[in-house]
Amino acid sequence: MPRWPLVFPLLLTVVTAQPAVQPQERDLLSRVRRLTVEGRRAGEGYWSPDGQRIVFQSEREPGNPFYQIYALDFSSGETTRISPGYGKTTCSFFRPGTDQILFASTHHDPRSRTFQQEELDFRASGKERRYSWDYDPEFEIYAYSEKGKSYTRLTNARGYDAEGSYSPDGQWIAFSSMRDAYNRALSPAEQKQLDVDPSFFAEIYIMRADGTGQRRLTNVNGYDGGPFFSPDGTRIVWRRFDESGLIANVWTMKLDGTDQRQVTDFGSMSWAPYIHPSGQYLLFASNKLGFENFEVFMVDVAGLKEPVRVTYADGFDGLPVPSPDGRRLAWTSTRGGGSAGQLYLADWNHEAALKILKAAPERKK
Amino acid sequence: MKKLLLVSLLVTAAALQAQTTVAPKTKAHVEFLASDRLEGREAGTPSERIAGDYIAAQLARAGAKPLPGHADMFVPFEFTAGSRDGGTRMNGSREGIQALSFSDDAEVSGAVVFAGYGLVVPESQNFGYDSYATLDVKDKIVLVLRYFPEDADQQARAVLARYADLRYKAQAARQRGAKALLVVTGPRSPNAGTLVPMTFDTAIAGSGIPAASITGEVANTLFASSPKPLRDIQQELDSGNPHVAGFELPGVTVNLATSVVRVKQTGRNVIAYLPATTPVAGVEKPWVVIGAHYDHLGRGDKGNSLASKEEVGGIHHGADDNASGTSAVLAMAQSLSTQPRRRNVVLALWSAEEIGLVGSNAFVTAPPVPIDQLAAYFNFDMVGRMQDNKLIVQATGTSPVWTRLLERANVAAGFDLVIQPDPYQPTDVASFNLASVPSLAFTTGAHVDYHKPSDTADKINYEDLDRIVDMAVSLARATEDTDPPPQFTKVDQPTSRGSLAGVRVTTGTIPDYATEVKGLLLSGVTGGGPAEQAGLMKGDVIVEIAGQSIANIYDYTYALELLKVDQPVKVIYMRAGQQRETQLTPGARR
Repeated sequence: MPRWPLVFPLLLTVVTAQPAVQPQERDLLSRVRRLTVEGRRAGEGYWSPDGQRIVFQSEREPGNPFYQIYALDFSSGETTRISPGYGKTTCSFFRPGTDQILFASTHHDPRSRTFQQEELDFRASGKERRYSWDYDPEFEIYAYSEKGKSYTRLTNARGYDAEGSYSPDGQWIAFSSMRDAYNRALSPAEQKQLDVDPSFFAEIYIMRADGTGQRRLTNVNGYDGGPFFSPDGTRIVWRRFDESGLIANVWTMKLDGTDQRQVTDFGSMSWAPYIHPSGQYLLFASNKLGFENFEVFMVDVAGLKEPVRVTYADGFDGLPVPSPDGRRLAWTSTRGGGSAGQLYLADWNHEAALKILKAAPERKK
Repeated sequence: MKKLLLVSLLVTAAALQAQTTVAPKTKAHVEFLASDRLEGREAGTPSERIAGDYIAAQLARAGAKPLPGHADMFVPFEFTAGSRDGGTRMNGSREGIQALSFSDDAEVSGAVVFAGYGLVVPESQNFGYDSYATLDVKDKIVLVLRYFPEDADQQARAVLARYADLRYKAQAARQRGAKALLVVTGPRSPNAGTLVPMTFDTAIAGSGIPAASITGEVANTLFASSPKPLRDIQQELDSGNPHVAGFELPGVTVNLATSVVRVKQTGRNVIAYLPATTPVAGVEKPWVVIGAHYDHLGRGDKGNSLASKEEVGGIHHGADDNASGTSAVLAMAQSLSTQPRRRNVVLALWSAEEIGLVGSNAFVTAPPVPIDQLAAYFNFDMVGRMQDNKLIVQATGTSPVWTRLLERANVAAGFDLVIQPDPYQPTDVASFNLASVPSLAFTTGAHVDYHKPSDTADKINYEDLDRIVDMAVSLARATEDTDPPPQFTKVDQPTSRGSLAGVRVTTGTIPDYATEVKGLLLSGVTGGGPAEQAGLMKGDVIVEIAGQSIANIYDYTYALELLKVDQPVKVIYMRAGQQRETQLTPGARR
């Protein structure tokens, strides 16, 4: 290069090794690579059971400012859209032993394209709003058959139904729903709450993979969401927000909703938990270190020890999902710059993780 | 013993095998091009020719051919290799005067008008500073102070600094009808009384006005009959008060004869191509260009070396800059030549990049293949020092297809890609962007040895350089086969960037280019420099300096304009998530 455009040549005199991320991160994560490049944002990547693919949400097609669902194939490098391409979608998951992928979508809503245009117009206007997740009550859970190329709707309740994931045997789906805000008469205070923040009403539900046998598992005010099964299929891990919507913690429970146990207690927003395939620890994200600085942490599944920090980068690092063989980690990060996340992948040092967790101090009470 | 022996034999065999399987494709090229024998490959020198001959031979070995209608792979171009004073005189004397490098050659006579700092802030800035507001300089010789008012408050300095470049001052004088511009470094400024160095300037022609700098002594003779000495006059101006006016120097007329010798030299681009393996009839835009510059700084005597005192005059090996990119292109040629392709692939190794992208500019100005027939351009500049798996890809904004192709290619390649849409980069990709060719530029970023003799072949990360080659080959192949060809998107040029003109201090900070954070992330500090003395170190993120908040590298540049030598300022920075504070005392820039 002839010169850096600004003052750099004058300043560039002596450099030692460049720390692109803080070195602590290398204890657990190596060969960090960026998986998604195309489009405005991408995230929430979940592995296929054979570890050969990742299904994720991304905004990357002109005309739709909302997430659609895509599957990336590691052997071919190809990315294919799974969702219909219109409406809003989120939270996908491979169904073990089948050709199915579930996700939540609003595409049945006849106003879908109108909403898309409205959002595009809003953006074009140059106005800005703080990021907030859109709890569109039209969100329903769908299963997509890759062979049949058909969508089967699994939920029908008014209110956001999303955040679904399959049990390891592929027979059950745990999900989060705000139907409680719509299927009964609300008190005036509740109605007000619904107008301000519908996620207050979100609870964890379970159903069979065909959508039958829907059953509620939690019954506490505040957003219960993001449920995933433990690798042995005996428990569900999820995050529970307090009524203020600012503090969240990771919990686990049995599939019938009993034996609810709190795993984390940072007094900050600790969420997006996922249990490592070894069953020994779980990974989650928390903004313990700064309201807008989310980092990935890990903790033993019982939460007896103090959680240990995993990522060391500015901005957002969250939604960690280990590969089925437990040797890689996919997560969503803004480390590439800007405020919109992209999907990242790294090799995961499981042995080091066990060692570090073993050495971690008892959790402060 | 036997068992042990067996084990060691096995180890040796394994090591040997490993060695043969990972023998880098790029290493031999880098080692040759960055060897002492190549003497830094300065454009227009014999060593540039040796490098060019080597490259042509390697391209031929890979099966590449001269472009249609060309007898060989060398495409020469003429450039200005530098300038020196050709005998500039004032009133017949060569004492204490020297042309500015952009000066016209002319002889003029006239009265001398002192125009303060010669600053004109455009009205659009709503600032109100015009050194010429009350002056008539038509057909006069204008004398101005170098730099900008020394004691102006920070806000004013921030504005004035932007218009203090001497080219800008010369333009302002010319537009007002002045016959010539004289510049003196004021007694209250850094470098007081000294001549302005004839910086390396590759402009083919002058700026339309004779311009020269004079020493403090010569200036004093001009001010001999004025009511106040120059020091006092400067002091009044230094407040930044826009109402301090210039004046005609009583009874002073001078005769000025300027002469700048611009040294013309010939450089050689080395350009070959791999013809498409199927007929290109019907293929839209049937050319893809892959390029890298192969020239470097020679012994670094043209003003763009960053050699330390001990290294000055040494061979600037340029292993990373840009034997690495050259080797990448040669390795790509080797690989691409064995594979089918629907488009012709041009392999272009540019010369005279270091002095202003001259070789690639020559190509786009007089393209040997129609420029609108180029489907894409890929540039490789400083790709040999990968750290932390980070590969920076620039100019992605030049076509909507790039992110998709990059995403796909990177699934196998597995880099921690850093995406920078901006094509206005200080490398040859800028030439192609301006010619509306969809482009990408690859780099692994700057480092401690940048533009120094110590940029040597032993420091190259060959394993990762080869990985870059593999990824680039897959991207090039995808582009060779893409139909329709990538569509060009114009990226607006960023406007709010700082310039060097007003920066006279050094802080000894080395920014990290690969990582985007809020603030200025340091990848290091200069040994013994102000930042090191302030206790700053690599990994720190500067978020505020001298009361200016720093969100990015441009804010930082801007803030630097406001700093003064030896005047301590407060620096607020983040270290390991903690906010800290220190005092930094800027030093003088050479």
